[in-house]
Amino acid sequence: MKRSYSLVLFFLLLFWCLGIFSEWLIKIDEHFVFALPFLQKTYSLVCHQEKNKLLFFDGVGTLACARCTGIYLGLLVSSLLVLFKLPKIKFRINILLAAALPMIIDVLLGSLKIYTYSKLLAFSTGLFLGSIGFFYLYAGLNNLILELKR
Amino acid sequence: MRKYLAALICGFGAGVLQIVPFVKSFSCCMILPLAAFISLLLDQRATRNFEKIPMKKALLFGLFTGLFAALFGSVFELLITFITKNNDVIASFTDLQRIVQNLPLSEEIKKEVLGIFQSVREDILKSGFSILYTFSVILNNFIVNSIFGSVGGLVGAQIINSRLSNQSNGR
Repeated sequence: MKRSYSLVLFFLLLFWCLGIFSEWLIKIDEHFVFALPFLQKTYSLVCHQEKNKLLFFDGVGTLACARCTGIYLGLLVSSLLVLFKLPKIKFRINILLAAALPMIIDVLLGSLKIYTYSKLLAFSTGLFLGSIGFFYLYAGLNNLILELKR
Repeated sequence: MRKYLAALICGFGAGVLQIVPFVKSFSCCMILPLAAFISLLLDQRATRNFEKIPMKKALLFGLFTGLFAALFGSVFELLITFITKNNDVIASFTDLQRIVQNLPLSEEIKKEVLGIFQSVREDILKSGFSILYTFSVILNNFIVNSIFGSVGGLVGAQIINSRLSNQSNGR
């Protein structure tokens, strides 16, 4: 994939991730407050936004839960990495399943109340899945571009 | 239309999961990509075509799944709001007030923001309809769902195709 396409992808993901932290952005420019309810609605489509699962720093919370924030940040980190170097591993389905496994186990054990929900664990398992999952999206987009060029 | 029947079915399912109270609490970023992935699997079974999926087709299936989810999600959400004269905007209004009051904003901005959302809240409580709310629901649903659906279509096709190449390599 051309570097310009990777750059567009990175910026799209960056904007999406910035939206999650929009309550922080209000501290930079107060006009962001007008977008807050609209953004809350946007992220409610893709996250349950349960209050006890949101990340809070300095009294200000994220608009997506710890796990979803992890997934999106994972995607962002990998999109930044491919700008510099694309890993030469062949991403087979087993790798994606292995990356999803910690998150699935955490969800299951948490839901069965075997242990209490941990934001750190939810965030890290999400981050792991997101950072690996990005390469499947990247490969899909790459194949799409190649197909369209034919 | 028949060509995208699988997308319609999965889009309907995802749209419903996004708005039904209680079920909504299980919603997560995986619902739409999963719906797009399932629509590709359903289409394969319906057409009995188990060859590699072209990415263009995967993108279209994902996009249509997202668009159908947005259509059904918006219609149901607006309908439920109209009938019950209640929705998440009303439920979260006190939270919004608290957040806005706690933020380091000028009194003028605080008053303006809360004024806008107070008017949306009053419209919904009175008639079950607000133009601003309707616009926000439709815009959000169509943009977010179509993007997540397309992503799900592309990643889903990668997974299905990778499984097919694994099977052919194993033979």
